[in-house]
Amino acid sequence: MFSGKFRSALVIGGQGIRARKLRTFLSMVSLFLGVLAVVAVQAGSEIAERAMLTDVELQSGKDGTVRGYIPGEKGAAGIVESTVKGRRDAVAAVSSQAIIGEPGVRPINEGGSPFKYANRGGDRYDGPVVYCDRSGRCEEEKPQEKKPDGQAIEVNMVALTGDIIPFKPFRPVSGSWLEFATAPSLAPRIVLNQEAATGLTQYRIPGEMMIEGATHHVTPQIIGVVDDGSSQPRVYMRLDELRTWMPAAAESSSEAMSRLRGGPTQLEVYLQPGSQDLQRLLQAKLTGAGLTQEQVHFEPVNSKERMESELRIMRLIFLGMAFLVLLIGVAGILNVGLATVGERVEEFALRRAVGMSRMLLAGIVLAETLLTGLLTAALAIGAGAGGLQVALMMFGGRFPSLQGTAFPWEAGVAGVVAGLVAGVLGGLIPAVRAARIPIATVMRA
Amino acid sequence: MTHPQVTAVTPLLHLQGITKVLKGQEEPRTILSGVDLTVHPGQSVAILGRSGSGKSTLLSLIGLFDRADEGQYLLHGNDITKLPERRAAALRSAEFGFVFQRFFLLKHLTAAQNVAMALVNGQGWSARRKRKQQVMDALEQVGIAHLAKSKPTRLSGGEQQRVAIARALVRRPRIILADEPTGALDTETGNLVVEVLLNTTRQGCGLVLVTHDHDHARKMGRVMELRDGRFN
Repeated sequence: MFSGKFRSALVIGGQGIRARKLRTFLSMVSLFLGVLAVVAVQAGSEIAERAMLTDVELQSGKDGTVRGYIPGEKGAAGIVESTVKGRRDAVAAVSSQAIIGEPGVRPINEGGSPFKYANRGGDRYDGPVVYCDRSGRCEEEKPQEKKPDGQAIEVNMVALTGDIIPFKPFRPVSGSWLEFATAPSLAPRIVLNQEAATGLTQYRIPGEMMIEGATHHVTPQIIGVVDDGSSQPRVYMRLDELRTWMPAAAESSSEAMSRLRGGPTQLEVYLQPGSQDLQRLLQAKLTGAGLTQEQVHFEPVNSKERMESELRIMRLIFLGMAFLVLLIGVAGILNVGLATVGERVEEFALRRAVGMSRMLLAGIVLAETLLTGLLTAALAIGAGAGGLQVALMMFGGRFPSLQGTAFPWEAGVAGVVAGLVAGVLGGLIPAVRAARIPIATVMRA
Repeated sequence: MTHPQVTAVTPLLHLQGITKVLKGQEEPRTILSGVDLTVHPGQSVAILGRSGSGKSTLLSLIGLFDRADEGQYLLHGNDITKLPERRAAALRSAEFGFVFQRFFLLKHLTAAQNVAMALVNGQGWSARRKRKQQVMDALEQVGIAHLAKSKPTRLSGGEQQRVAIARALVRRPRIILADEPTGALDTETGNLVVEVLLNTTRQGCGLVLVTHDHDHARKMGRVMELRDGRFN
């Protein structure tokens, strides 16, 4: 029974659209802009969120990853290294400072700052430096010997126990990424981030590396460049290759000062979601080595939720504006719908005379506006998807985070919903009017 | 809808004491006052009367377009005086065929599609092939099957009215209600249309014809005249 009514409504609604192509087209023109606005806002906010999330993931790790911050003291690096080594569900990153270039010179970006802030030749504070811990115990840093300026850059060096890409999706720029399945090389293979690559290219730096705490200078093999989202120069290498030049014991050589400065060795651990057993094991081992529970801190990365709440207000504002544009389209459908009902009084009265119920008659008018809305939505979604492709072709190169962006399905759904809502809102009053047409009066006239 | 089993003595329709008052104006105006009418299967009834005598109003009440203020309406012996609109629509589809003075054909549809309109009304659904056969049978019955694909604008007045009659016949109704079907036609074509309508009564269909034309009325089995809302 429902099937018969539904089919009748669709068949007759389709006939109505075919019979009044120009009117349908005019309804669609005004509605098109409204639906396109909704699609564009939804697609824009989804793409912006994904782009932001991609950028955040480069630095913080993928959503759901459990990230641990561990001080590089009391042999923590060695404990973590031995615990996670060879595991696919976890990776440890040991960070320290290194200088690439001429030995014994003052780096261009002393302290590892981005090159646009490199203060070479500028004013520099040469006074005493005092570090204090939380208990108020302070120590003065020994004044360093002033070194001559030279062709060297200071970078943050991150040594990895395994592949970090599954946790931080770095974007390859050139060359290749670190290979962890092969035997370690004596000449450490390093991958630069874009800032480090810029420094090397810009200042023509010799390929020699001095790692803080290492026993000798090393000659690295630069195998690739990645975009890691960091503005600081950074290099990535295998921890086992670093160990050839800097044994774990060497890290705690200046432990007293290191502790006060937060340690030259920063230790981060990335665990896949659901690795609670490994997390507990690490916590047990590290607290057993003398670290406190507070020092061994793990927390899940939850960037998406945080960003969604930040974007929600903006999205609502833009959706509100798009809805207003959609209302103009609804007014267009309503206007054309009312005029059409006025013209089709005899047809509707006749249909009721041959046995059509008021409800079905209203359904036919609604079916026409719904079909118009859906057709318009399909066109608007197509235009949105096409527009996105064109925009990506023209501007995609400037925004790496937009690489590989596809038209978000959420925007398609929003377009269909907008088309349906506009169809219902624009067709409701004409439908009620059509259903109320008095048969006797019309057929007698 | 299936037709209830009826005995030979049960009339197709029986109106008793039907009264209709036109409201909503300064003074209510009585259009029909205590009208009685009975139509049996295969019977044809002509209703004559001057303009404003209440002929079309009576036809509207019989065809369930409108509701009487007083009186009783029995269809196949069942009281349908206070039928809800949804069931009235179903009955219109199953029991009645309507022919109007103005043909009310949809210009954007072909003759066959206009006839099929009565089949696509939400009262059940039949396959396209079956619908097509029913439509062609109805057009055949009124002698214009060859014009099935023609649009109304390309048909003469008589042909258009025959399409309208085919539309009324396509659901095989029990009663045909014709409101001045020859009013817009010349005499010859009008006679042809009346013949087509009378043919339906030979198959057991009841016919109520509202007309001004006494010649056409005389061809019916019974002639009744409405005057001031009452049958003489």
